[in-house]
Amino acid sequence: MAISTAQLSPISRLAVHNVTKRFGDITAIEDVSLSLERGEIRALCGGNGAGKSTLVKILTGVQAPTSGVIAVDGVSRAFRNPIDAQRAGLALVAQELSLAPDLSVHDNLWLGHADAPWQRRTAVGMERARASLAAVGLDNLSLNLKIAELSLAERQLIEIARGLIRNASMLILDEPTATLSEREIARVFDAVRALKKSGCTIIYITHRMGEVYELCDSVTVMRNGRIITTEAVKDIPRERLLELMIGRKLSDVYPPSDTNLGRVMLEVQHLQVPGAVEEFSVRVCAGEIVGIVGQIGSGSIETIRALAGLTHNATGDVCIDSKRLALGSAPVAASAGMRFVSEDRANEGIFLHMPARSNMISTRLSETSNGGFVRPRLLNRLAVGLARQVGFDIDRLGVTAGRLSGGNQQKLAIGRCADRVMTGVILMNEPTRGVDMGARAEIYQTLRRLCDEGNAVLLASTDLEEVVGLVDRVVTMRYGRVAGVHNRADASETTILAEITNAEMAA
Amino acid sequence: MGLIGEEKKPLAIFGVVAISLAAALVMQGNTSVELILFSILQYFATIGPVALGLGLTMIAREFDISVGSTMSVAGCIAVVASTSDPYLGAACGIGVGLLIGLSQGVLVTGLGLSSISVSLGFLITLAGFAYVVTGNMTIPLDHADVTSAINAPVLGIFSFRSIFAIACFAIASFIFLKTRAGVELIATGSDPTAAATAGVRTTRIVVIVFMISGGLSAAAGVFLTYGLSVASPSGLTDILVPAISAAIIGGVSLTGGRGTPIGIALGALTLCLLNAGLNALGVSPVAQQVVLAFVLFTVAVAAAPQLYRIIPQRS
Repeated sequence: MAISTAQLSPISRLAVHNVTKRFGDITAIEDVSLSLERGEIRALCGGNGAGKSTLVKILTGVQAPTSGVIAVDGVSRAFRNPIDAQRAGLALVAQELSLAPDLSVHDNLWLGHADAPWQRRTAVGMERARASLAAVGLDNLSLNLKIAELSLAERQLIEIARGLIRNASMLILDEPTATLSEREIARVFDAVRALKKSGCTIIYITHRMGEVYELCDSVTVMRNGRIITTEAVKDIPRERLLELMIGRKLSDVYPPSDTNLGRVMLEVQHLQVPGAVEEFSVRVCAGEIVGIVGQIGSGSIETIRALAGLTHNATGDVCIDSKRLALGSAPVAASAGMRFVSEDRANEGIFLHMPARSNMISTRLSETSNGGFVRPRLLNRLAVGLARQVGFDIDRLGVTAGRLSGGNQQKLAIGRCADRVMTGVILMNEPTRGVDMGARAEIYQTLRRLCDEGNAVLLASTDLEEVVGLVDRVVTMRYGRVAGVHNRADASETTILAEITNAEMAA
Repeated sequence: MGLIGEEKKPLAIFGVVAISLAAALVMQGNTSVELILFSILQYFATIGPVALGLGLTMIAREFDISVGSTMSVAGCIAVVASTSDPYLGAACGIGVGLLIGLSQGVLVTGLGLSSISVSLGFLITLAGFAYVVTGNMTIPLDHADVTSAINAPVLGIFSFRSIFAIACFAIASFIFLKTRAGVELIATGSDPTAAATAGVRTTRIVVIVFMISGGLSAAAGVFLTYGLSVASPSGLTDILVPAISAAIIGGVSLTGGRGTPIGIALGALTLCLLNAGLNALGVSPVAQQVVLAFVLFTVAVAAAPQLYRIIPQRS
């Protein structure tokens, strides 16, 4: 049953009435209405382009709605800028962290505060900084530490603490756990629950199903700029919610695995990376997807990077298609058949300022050039072919990569690995970080198809649901070592989670 | 944070250079310490404020390379406008410097241009403008009293100019370490997008930093010109390299967000000591360039991010 909280109480903490936002002829969101109570955690779900970020920008005063009203405690408000929204008690904890790495914890907490004093430090200011850190469970953190010295989870918690120091009673958290490991996620959850207890109203944007059910009271699903439904979490079954989010049948998300494995494509023995990986061995066959799971610091990400030739001091015996590979050089690894898709799409994965077409063929210049001259027609034909293979809209090949959604950017990164004369090993870190459910399904299909063509895939992911659904074999890592290996049939989220956190529980 | 953390390296470099200079002077039997200190501070008065302005733009992840020309133009304008009143001339010179900074800041932030290309344009334009203002001639200042007042020693080793420079650094350090504005400047240089997301008005910060850079360069130019008692359009463009060197030795990062006014002051003083020491030892100006280059290179190598690859690490 759809709940209408507006009917339950006459005045909501935060209400959005019939908000529409148009950019010229394009309607970003249409007729959106929401109402949230004090102490409510509302999940906001939907794929890229669903209109979530436009709604957030309107709520935080970054953009003004074309029509419609926002009301706080029953009083309608028109936010002219982010400062207005801040003063009304609304704060955004952005997905791309908004902390200055060279500044201290204290300075970052007060950065951008509408009513910060002119002095850098005051006794009252430091007191409030400590109180807000305590509220998110960072009681023992020094105010003088630089942000660059903190873990990602701590940074995320500091973002939330910054919302509190601004006296925010309504927080919008935009995928706060996207880059965190399971154990770090627990810390963020604890902080969010504590905020709820203190009466904070929270809008929690996420792509992860598990978080909706574990943390949230109610869920609003958006698609194509409209609200599809708002329901209490306990009233909506998991499968139904997933289908509402992606707008298609659930059985289409994870493709079935292929039981016919080919020859051994990748054999790794005694891989070591000083300070990160102590011992890692694995064998991956053609047609197989193997997933490495571990928390941040377990060595999983570093393993993939070392195999891609990106770590200068990695050692170990690595054979690709029975040929010995020297570690430590990305070009050598690439020419041997290693294809790497980075976890850091913006900095390593794609060229943000170049068109999608150039990105798609950026690793194929030797095939599309003759005597140093690029052949545009051949290049275009190749780009179109690759786009079709990875499900990228060929009409958007001319668009600058930086303007595409996370899902489409990731398709470009994967497209560079596809359609080779020579089969090889595809190495991926966090294959669907920041990618919505719809695009995820397409990426999973593509990976499976690349396997069917004779490639092998080795990926590291912190998204357990993805690992259990997608891969043929799971390798768990802990403290730089392999903790266990499981086949798809006997791997469940709980057994994997127990294994990657086991040592820390015992300690 | 603040005083001890970031300035360790520049302080160490400064210490090494100062001790070497002292040792060299003792061995030479040079006794005119007061005179040497005075000349060191005079040189500091010239490059210090310029290095500070340039360094602040670097901390904000911009680059104002027009400082030398700004200095030159401001000096020429001040002398030309000072026929009746030297104070009016100084005000005109410094005002023009602020205006130059404002224009550059607005161009960089408003049009999203690279600060290097904008300030390079200003560098060339202003250098030409200095010749126009002076009619390609050397113009003398008609206020001998002003010149002698500006150069007169105070407490033996200081002068009006060096006190002005020291005051600039003191004020900048206070703002940097103690105020919200300082925090916002570092945040802007450290990660402009993050700072803007957090609510910092980064555009305003960048414009103000360019105005400070223009104003400080102009003031240094005006006072130097008054001190020399003559304005020459070709005079002061050699300031850029020492200013950048001072900022880098002082620990300012080329990628923004790092560096402090005290660090820049130490960097500038290091150059002044080198200059004074080498002069006292009778080293030719050409050879001095080589020594300066060597110091800069050492600093650059010591800060190299991939140094660890070459030096074996103990586990």
